[in-house]
Amino acid sequence: MKNSLNFSLGFLVLIVLVVVVGASTLFQVDEAEQAIIVQFGAPVGEPITDAGLHLKLPFVQEVRRFDKRLLSWDGDPNQIPTRGEQFISVDTTARWRIADPLVFLQRVQNERGATLRLNDILDSVVRDKISSSDLVEIVRSKDWEISEDDLERAQVAAEEEEEILLQEVVSGRGELVDTILETAGAVVPDFGIELVDIRIKRIDYVKEVQERVFERMIAERQRIAEQFRSEGEGRAAEIDGETEMQLARITSEARREAEVIRGNADAEVTRIYNESFGADPEFYAFFRTLESYSSSLDESSTLILGVDSDYFRYLKDIAPPAK
Amino acid sequence: MTQFDRNRPNVQINFPDFDPRKLFTTVPVVLLVILVAAGLYTSYYTVQPEEEAVVKRFGAVVAIRGPGLHFKLPFGIDKAYNIPTARVLKQEFGFRTAGTGNRTSYRKDAALLEESLMLTGDLKVIDVEWVVQYRISNPSSYLHNVREPSKTLRDISEAVMRRIVGNSLGSDVLTEKRVEVAMNARQELQEILDSFDIGIQVSTIELQDVTPPEKVKPAFNEVNQAEQERERLINEAEKRRNQVIPRAEGQAKQIIAQAEGYSAERVNSARGETARFTAILSEYEKVPEVTRQRLYLEMVDKVLPNLGRVYIMEGEGMSPLPLLNLSEGNLQPAK
Repeated sequence: MKNSLNFSLGFLVLIVLVVVVGASTLFQVDEAEQAIIVQFGAPVGEPITDAGLHLKLPFVQEVRRFDKRLLSWDGDPNQIPTRGEQFISVDTTARWRIADPLVFLQRVQNERGATLRLNDILDSVVRDKISSSDLVEIVRSKDWEISEDDLERAQVAAEEEEEILLQEVVSGRGELVDTILETAGAVVPDFGIELVDIRIKRIDYVKEVQERVFERMIAERQRIAEQFRSEGEGRAAEIDGETEMQLARITSEARREAEVIRGNADAEVTRIYNESFGADPEFYAFFRTLESYSSSLDESSTLILGVDSDYFRYLKDIAPPAK
Repeated sequence: MTQFDRNRPNVQINFPDFDPRKLFTTVPVVLLVILVAAGLYTSYYTVQPEEEAVVKRFGAVVAIRGPGLHFKLPFGIDKAYNIPTARVLKQEFGFRTAGTGNRTSYRKDAALLEESLMLTGDLKVIDVEWVVQYRISNPSSYLHNVREPSKTLRDISEAVMRRIVGNSLGSDVLTEKRVEVAMNARQELQEILDSFDIGIQVSTIELQDVTPPEKVKPAFNEVNQAEQERERLINEAEKRRNQVIPRAEGQAKQIIAQAEGYSAERVNSARGETARFTAILSEYEKVPEVTRQRLYLEMVDKVLPNLGRVYIMEGEGMSPLPLLNLSEGNLQPAK
């Protein structure tokens, strides 16, 4: 009985011992981590980047862990003048990773220290590059191209606007960002850091400039609206003019045609009369004169006739004329 | 002894099974049971239909499992991380969905406005709202390659959208190139994310509201109104034309028809008149003297009775004029 008690106690102590020593000897490195072993403050061996279970000396060595993943850096929006003296607010974002944990540990200690260094480096590089570039180089990319068609669609009203549009892009945002990455990326390895990516997240006009841009946009729109209105009026006047012209043409053509018809008819009538009356002009004159008497003399007429007129000649003499 | 015992009141507290020596056997048994229970409890995991599980042993990835019940080494040796790989995830830019009741409501404030205001290639400002829909395509990469995958997605998405809008005309982004912008943005975003091996597949980028900035909107509306007014003015002029021209054409036909009527009338009456004359002439030629007399007398018959006054004068000695009362006013000059 005494033996079994001792055995149990001994077993427990052994287990505790194994656990304590084991916990101090074995350590896990996660897939997202890298680690270095430090012995009394001095780093030992190569950084461990493989995930899994690893060994170290118990008690005398300790493990310093670092993130292996891509980390984010987010700069404060900076007000920077471009080469054209326009103030813009630039917000950049970057991805970086701890490339050499040992150097990283020595130079910047931890991520907070690294962020502070990155702030200094990136802010200054971004500021340098932005302030030596024109605004169009920062906003547009290298393949910027404006066709006649584009100009039309942009409804440019003023020449200066057109000039802005046609301004050629020499390097563009892509190259600008590449040079920033290159310049900053050359400095950061000193801190055990690799700069993987940097981008301009936001560019905005500063408040005062933005107001002016808005005003410019409003003025431009109003100009376009005015153009539309006057186009409408002009086109309407044009249509009205065409209408009047058509109207005059239609009416005058009709009148002309009518006159031609009447003229032809008159000619025809004259021809008919001539043909017929020409057969005996003397009889026509006689016949027509009699008709004329019939129609022109009425109760309002007074006729004075001599007794030697043809009609009254029998009043004086009824003898047949001597033959 | 036993008799006394029997008579003594029984004051002993009854611990019938208590035996201190047994402690050494029961405690390990209980511990063992707990250990086994804990072991069992930590040795399985379930994966939901839309998920995949990344299994890590001592921190290193050993397997990726699909939906269902799975077993693993207990006590945290193996750990399973469930990642919803089949679910379509969404990030909103420039607005937030505030509630999805009967009607979905959206929210937009100053901070979100900063997210969506951007510069166009013509150096103007435009308000672009968009949505990125994506899926976690590689759960292990998603977990282990980038520390803040959704923040990274947001940052890069904003950068890409601004680059593309900055390389386009504002009027194009507002209207006809929306789809193109969205497609290019998707492609470019995917390329950059792939370079980070982030384990995200971008399914679509959709442009939502794309508008001029609030302050400039009235001016844009004015342009639309002016454009409509232009159409209205033109339409009205065309309407006037359509009213006037057909009427004028009708009137023109009327004028011509009248002329033709005149023509027919004149010709017919001439024909009639000449026909009558020709007929009389042919008879006249047979007996001219008598016909002349007859025609003359017929005329006198017809005319004379209707005359106002007839004066018959004899000789030529006296002019009739002094006899006439000219003041009667009915004297007609001889025709």
